[in-house]
Amino acid sequence: MAQAVIAQPAVARLRGSNARSRRIVDRIATAALWGASSLVVLLLLLFIGFEFYRGASSISWQFLTGSPTAGTAGGGIGPLIFNSFYVLILTLAFTVPISVCAGMYLQEYSAGGRFKAIVQFSAESLATVPSIVMGLFGLLVFVSALHWHFTALGGALTLTLLNLPAMMRVTQEALAGVPGTYREASMACGATKWQTVLKVILPSAIGPLTTGVVLVSGRIFGETAALIYTAGASVSYGRSAYDVNPFHTAETLAVGLYQVHREALVPDVDRIANGSALVLLVMVLVFNVVARVVGRALTLRFTGKAR
Amino acid sequence: MSRSARLAAIALAAAIAPSAAFADTSISAAGSTALQPLVQAAADEYQQKNSDVKISVTGGGSRTGLSLVSSKAVDLGDSDILAPDGTNGLVDHKVAVIGFSVVVNPAAGVKGLSKKQVQDIFTLKVTNWKDVGGKDQQITVINRPASSGTRAVFMKTLMGSIDTLPPTLTEDATGTVVQKVAQTAGAVSYASFSGTHNASGVSELAIDGAAATEDNVMTGKYPFWSYEHIYTNGPPSKDIAKFIAFLQEDTAVFKKTGYIQIRDMKVTENNR
Amino acid sequence: MVGVRASKAHRDEGIALVVLMSCSALFVIAIALILGFLAFNGTRLFWGDHYSPLKFLFGTDWDGFGGHYGAATFIAGSLVATGMAIAIGGPLGVAIGVFFSELAPKRVATAFKPAIEVLVGIPSVVYGWLGLTLLVPAIATVFHLPDGDGLLAAGIVLSIMILPTVISLSEDALRVVPNSLREGSAALGATRWETITKVLLPSASSGIAVAVILGVARAIGETLAVQLVLGNAAILPTSLLKPAAALTSEIVMDMGDAPDGSGFKHALFAMAFLLLLISMGLILLIRLALRRRT
Repeated sequence: MAQAVIAQPAVARLRGSNARSRRIVDRIATAALWGASSLVVLLLLLFIGFEFYRGASSISWQFLTGSPTAGTAGGGIGPLIFNSFYVLILTLAFTVPISVCAGMYLQEYSAGGRFKAIVQFSAESLATVPSIVMGLFGLLVFVSALHWHFTALGGALTLTLLNLPAMMRVTQEALAGVPGTYREASMACGATKWQTVLKVILPSAIGPLTTGVVLVSGRIFGETAALIYTAGASVSYGRSAYDVNPFHTAETLAVGLYQVHREALVPDVDRIANGSALVLLVMVLVFNVVARVVGRALTLRFTGKAR
Repeated sequence: MSRSARLAAIALAAAIAPSAAFADTSISAAGSTALQPLVQAAADEYQQKNSDVKISVTGGGSRTGLSLVSSKAVDLGDSDILAPDGTNGLVDHKVAVIGFSVVVNPAAGVKGLSKKQVQDIFTLKVTNWKDVGGKDQQITVINRPASSGTRAVFMKTLMGSIDTLPPTLTEDATGTVVQKVAQTAGAVSYASFSGTHNASGVSELAIDGAAATEDNVMTGKYPFWSYEHIYTNGPPSKDIAKFIAFLQEDTAVFKKTGYIQIRDMKVTENNR
Repeated sequence: MVGVRASKAHRDEGIALVVLMSCSALFVIAIALILGFLAFNGTRLFWGDHYSPLKFLFGTDWDGFGGHYGAATFIAGSLVATGMAIAIGGPLGVAIGVFFSELAPKRVATAFKPAIEVLVGIPSVVYGWLGLTLLVPAIATVFHLPDGDGLLAAGIVLSIMILPTVISLSEDALRVVPNSLREGSAALGATRWETITKVLLPSASSGIAVAVILGVARAIGETLAVQLVLGNAAILPTSLLKPAAALTSEIVMDMGDAPDGSGFKHALFAMAFLLLLISMGLILLIRLALRRRT
């Protein structure tokens, strides 16, 4: 009914126009839409191509595994890459269980009602908190109030808050994709709700769930603003570079790219910045490809069909 | 869920365990990025000679260093500036002197300025280089943010009684400033010798006829310099005192990094 | 035997429910804590340092150590940069959303879409680095300026950054428009373009509004990409080609060095709280837009 109301005046206007000029407008508009879309994709390819071209000369084994220097050229980004993965893994260790559980609750258990509405509103609000503001929250809580100072753990918890909503959405969407018949069949066999969710629904949703987790991981890997004042903006140059103590400072690669350029403690800032930008870009591409490949493989394995 | 919780616990335990193995002496320093290369170089030397000592050196800025050392988050707080009055318990160790330059883009066409001219430029009274003996080129002033230690030294040593600057283009670290000056025609800013001496595409200006060199800093002809401080929270422990003494005395490290040893100074802050 | 197993299953069910609900509750606790901490620290400037909120919001006098905390220049800079991002990225994003939903052959869509998803994943600091090293010099050359930093550069970088959000959400909004509307419009002799502009876009308008609002949310909170290209001059924006400063860029530059407990630091927290309030306001706007649809 509502649709008819919208369509009616539009149609009345159509009748009055000249058919040929209308077709021409249509053609032009179509061309413009094709043009705009191709332009953006082209621009993206250009960016990536340029970054590859510019950063390629920085890449060497020494660069990827060496330690940063202060004052002299020739530093590497090894500890920064390590820290990025380390903070990512810590973050996932918190984010995945919490948001998968919350997603399961909202999607499978809650039938609606006030609690669900409040959780959903909280998730939406959480999702729009700017990452620098989340960083300051982390600074207030983990760095100052808890006296941890700049730590990998504080950074990871800040990133957890930042990514909980996205991960919960991923879960909800993955679960929503499981056909209702699976649930009915399982319940009909006498399984409880929890058994159904754990043994039937979750395995069937594992493919899309993994895809989502890996895509969100890509975003966590490149996060910068939230980490500068939580995980810290310095690697410890002197100490053993691959430090796994979660209560130590952990400058990630993205923060390092920002920082190397700001502090300019080394004469080869551009070389390091371009190389770091390239590595970050490659990682984004890798995360995207892995997300798809692994997701598809898992779906195939657990459900026996490609979804 | 229970399995993933267990996994998380194991991962966390595995992560914490190795750090307990670092039972050696460990010293941490943070703060001024101007001082960082010196402390880093000294730390490298020191660790080679004392393999049981681990020294971590990080940046963050002078005030960050001060706040970290006052909350005992680090052992040493590196700073370009004096700790503000009322910071209890901090002990000052002057470890070096560092010079700063006023740097311009070569398009400015000037080799030196008087203090008065610098003041006029940074208060935007003079907006073209031709008015201070340069080419007909608009001046683009680049400042450090209000919180910067370098800016504090600049204000104290060159700006006389002027205590606020009009808002201008602002870049928040030595590296960005030098890069921006190099790529912006007619730009002017200031940065430490360590950032400007070897930078390409920028000229360091003489102030009141004295070139921006270490010698002129030592003899007091060139005014734009400051002491670099390392602060400890309370009197330093034996290990830390040993490292600070090493840093102050190790001439080789100073030679390598271009800082000035305090004993080479023929003037002090008071008769600058 | 059966009874024991059933009661164990029953107990598991209870535990599961408690765990799942607690995890959900964490979301509520998290946002409450964030609001609480930032509200407390973000208003300290007003009740602790007795600085007038009006002077904070509308004053242009900013001197962190001199006791002047007028943030109007930063607020204006953030608003103008965001406005530019929306002015460029909004229409372009919706257009590409229309393209994916209405025009693109399946093969083209499957080729283009992953590219757009890559765009989302590129870290903001990489955007900033590209902007600083490519866009800023380009603007300087094109407009014969000594320096290309400024609102134009920030606006362009932000518009690219919000594109993926606007594209995918407006595409989703168009896809849920029932096919009967498309068919009906075509049957009446409308061209595809007429169907899009006169039928589809109006019926998807609330969804598209949400897409644009989320774009605003992303742009106004963006920090590093903006800080690297904006020039960071605390001057009220009078020209798009002049350097300006934004709330986020000022926070990231001064936060580390502003002394703890000072009015300077409290002013930075007040700016962060303001950003948080703006984000919350945008969420309410989205709710409003969606309510209109149902």
